[in-house]
Amino acid sequence: MKLLQTEFLIARHFRNSVFKNAAIYIITIFIGLLLLYAAFSGWDNYRSQNETSEKYQHESREDWLKNPDKNPHRMAHYGNFAFRKSSSLSVFEFGMEPFFGNAIFLEAHKQNTANFSEAGFSNSMLRFGEISIAMVLQILLPLLIFFIGFNSVAYERENGTLKIFLSQGVSWKQLLTGKTLGIASVVMIIFIPTIMVLVFIWLLLQNFSISADEVIKMILFVFFHFVYLMFFCVTAVLVSASSKTSKKALVSLIGIWLIFTIILPRTTQAIGAYLYEAPSKIKFGSDIEKDILKQGDSHNPNDVHYKAIKDSLLRVYKVDSVQKLPFNYSGFIMTEGERISSNIYNQHLEELLKIYAKQNSFSKAVSFLNPYIAMKNLSMGLSNTDYDSYIDFQKQAEVYRYNMAQKMNALQVKYISNKKPGPNDKPLTIGKEHWADVEEFHYEPKGIAAIIKTEILSIISITLWIIGFFVLVLFASKKLKAV
Amino acid sequence: MLQLLFKNFLRSKGTKAGLLFLLIISLISLLIGRQFQQKQENNIAEAAVYQKEHIARNAAFHKDEIGLLLYYIKFSLVNKTLPINSLAIGQRDVNPSIQSVTIRGLEGQKYDSELNNPSNLLAGNIDFSFVLLYLFPLLIIAFSYNLISEEKESGTWKIVAVQSQNTFLYILKLFYVRILSLTALMTLVLLAAVLVLQIPLDKSFAVFYGITVLYILFWFGVCFFIVSLQKNSNFNAVILLTIWLFLIIILPAGINTYIINKYKVPEALELTLTQRNAYHEKWDMDKTETMEKFYKHYPQFKKYALPEKEFSWLWYYAMQQMGDDESSVQSKDLESKLEQRNRASELIAQFIPTLHTQIQLNEIAKSDLRNQLLFLKETTKFHEKLRLYFYPKIFDNAPVDKENWEKFKVETFTDATEISFLKAFLPLLLFNLLLIGFGWRNFMKTL
Repeated sequence: MKLLQTEFLIARHFRNSVFKNAAIYIITIFIGLLLLYAAFSGWDNYRSQNETSEKYQHESREDWLKNPDKNPHRMAHYGNFAFRKSSSLSVFEFGMEPFFGNAIFLEAHKQNTANFSEAGFSNSMLRFGEISIAMVLQILLPLLIFFIGFNSVAYERENGTLKIFLSQGVSWKQLLTGKTLGIASVVMIIFIPTIMVLVFIWLLLQNFSISADEVIKMILFVFFHFVYLMFFCVTAVLVSASSKTSKKALVSLIGIWLIFTIILPRTTQAIGAYLYEAPSKIKFGSDIEKDILKQGDSHNPNDVHYKAIKDSLLRVYKVDSVQKLPFNYSGFIMTEGERISSNIYNQHLEELLKIYAKQNSFSKAVSFLNPYIAMKNLSMGLSNTDYDSYIDFQKQAEVYRYNMAQKMNALQVKYISNKKPGPNDKPLTIGKEHWADVEEFHYEPKGIAAIIKTEILSIISITLWIIGFFVLVLFASKKLKAV
Repeated sequence: MLQLLFKNFLRSKGTKAGLLFLLIISLISLLIGRQFQQKQENNIAEAAVYQKEHIARNAAFHKDEIGLLLYYIKFSLVNKTLPINSLAIGQRDVNPSIQSVTIRGLEGQKYDSELNNPSNLLAGNIDFSFVLLYLFPLLIIAFSYNLISEEKESGTWKIVAVQSQNTFLYILKLFYVRILSLTALMTLVLLAAVLVLQIPLDKSFAVFYGITVLYILFWFGVCFFIVSLQKNSNFNAVILLTIWLFLIIILPAGINTYIINKYKVPEALELTLTQRNAYHEKWDMDKTETMEKFYKHYPQFKKYALPEKEFSWLWYYAMQQMGDDESSVQSKDLESKLEQRNRASELIAQFIPTLHTQIQLNEIAKSDLRNQLLFLKETTKFHEKLRLYFYPKIFDNAPVDKENWEKFKVETFTDATEISFLKAFLPLLLFNLLLIGFGWRNFMKTL
């Protein structure tokens, strides 16, 4: 006897009955077109995002190097830029990208905001969501599965054919498995070509040279989406099997879909945001300024902190004024100032990020109850379009900014004469060959290991759902009744 | 008869649960709106205190050099938040409602973003407009998808048809009961909003209310039309949910993607780079060249000759000015691109009731892109005003303590865009008439 013969027979039969309905062709073609549109716009978006960002990253680097001899502190204010680049999987999953700032200006003394997000330049239309392949896979296909599957068992019950099935020796387990496979086989007609196109585009984008890291991300992306869709197939069959009428099954399934994909994601995040209020920019900035002033104000000639530094320097070098020190005094003070201010900034930033993490904790916790959130978080993580990737980008930019500022301060301390030029003297400068000492900003996206670490909850959640379903199917097989 | 229909409708467990759910989530949306309002108010208060302290402190340190003082101090402009904004938060969470600028180059400061948790932005707010746009239609669908079809399926329709003289009137009454219940609920919520958020009962509110009613009627119109096709309940449910999906997710998202890809804004990045170079290169250029350009822009300052020193504040601010002047092309391009985006989306939205409603509500609440663009323009004016006031003082090196710094309070921008009844109501009205008309025709044919 062949393995699962009955199941396959039921599946084939169900698939044929689905394709008897003309509507399924229309829906399939429509979803196909939507997927193409999503792929095309995702590609277009990705290409232009990366082209512009590379172009200006490069241009700003050229500009930086082209600067003539000047005082290093001028260069610290000339500054650099961090432009955000997308990772290749973001063609399929936009995630939070539209809300990310695309450029950060990096200069001495000051941590600038990440500016020019797509959302800032958009009408409220953006808030309805975006058409991406991930959106079609995660939101539309589950609904399609429910529309196909709601009467998979309930209809047989209404018709009375269910009793015939069971009396002919088909077990509930075989019936449920068969129907699930039947729905899955219909969905795979959309899913498999989508994945093929997706992989092809993905290869094309990277000129067929891909790192192991990217491959693992892609495999996980495909695998988890497959599992996710199977989850909905099983749900459809189970709900259909336990509903008295197909109408009841349909209404329950629509309810489940709405709660999972529309209501819960927004509500849980809103609860988090409501309970843990984050400070606005103005409050955040003024708190930092207050703390910096407490530590010491380098502009205030009578400031205790800076006076102590001055006195100790004078003592160590046995001189009576800062002009007689063997190095550039103001460069030294600026090094100290940058250290203090960026320390304080980072402390406040950590506090802020803690609040954000608390806000997000509700959604994360709910991912155990809601496979959609788990899937969404995981796929955003894999495509580097999630919250952590953005914070990571900002942090890398800040590290770069700090090193750049301190490098310029060090050059000033070392090469700029400590004697202040008179009002009519030329400004003190150093050679432009030093500018190349500061390396170009390069953003390194998070690797797969880091992503799995942050998204471990989602992975566990999806795995638990799968195990739960096996148990449920077995359990249901024993409990379900034909009438 | 009508009374009985009401009783029958409200007695059902599903109805009660649905209405209760909607009421609770509406009230939650008001709480969220109130929190948003308080946050905005706190920010403005904070900005006022901060500006005062910040100017006073700096004025005390830099007593002898007004040029240096103005290098540091920031002045704030507030984009006025109306109470009704809490009902439709729109883009106000993405964009900052306060701009703080120094009189140095503006282009490098103008687009500074608000601090935000991107997860919150992605999920979106649960404000009243969300409840209205997303959830009301779902309940409307749930209440009406099986009218007639359910009775047909259970076999009671024939009895109804025999017993009532006019079945069409009976159907209208069924809808009437549902429309009245949901409109009453919505009115109740908006009344609560008026009290909780202290929304003035003015023209804005009237238009807001009008759109809300029309939007609810639109969805009843959709249901009326679908019910008039007299298909079975399952078909109705599937088709209505599909319509909802199209109007709420697929079309808006598709159009948004189209607009974003059609009007790309690389100008934004170009602008920052140009602005940076235009200012910084002046440090290494001939001073008189910079000054010539500056005098050309502001002939009134020609009387201030460049001092014979290596550094002067006149030269410094002239350099800063050049950052703005020489990037003005990119700045204008960016501005017009964004205006194009806004125009295109408003135009397309007229044909999609959900989008139209959202955009109109945001327009009333002054939380749309247009308001943001006006605010940016006003920021430019505000900045220019400060420059013109301080430039002569800096060039004269006017004594710092002679200036009354107290008078530099936080200023407020009020968006005075008039709301047009026609623009707001017409698209929805037309859609409603069409749906009712076609539905009516269908019923006339089949009943």
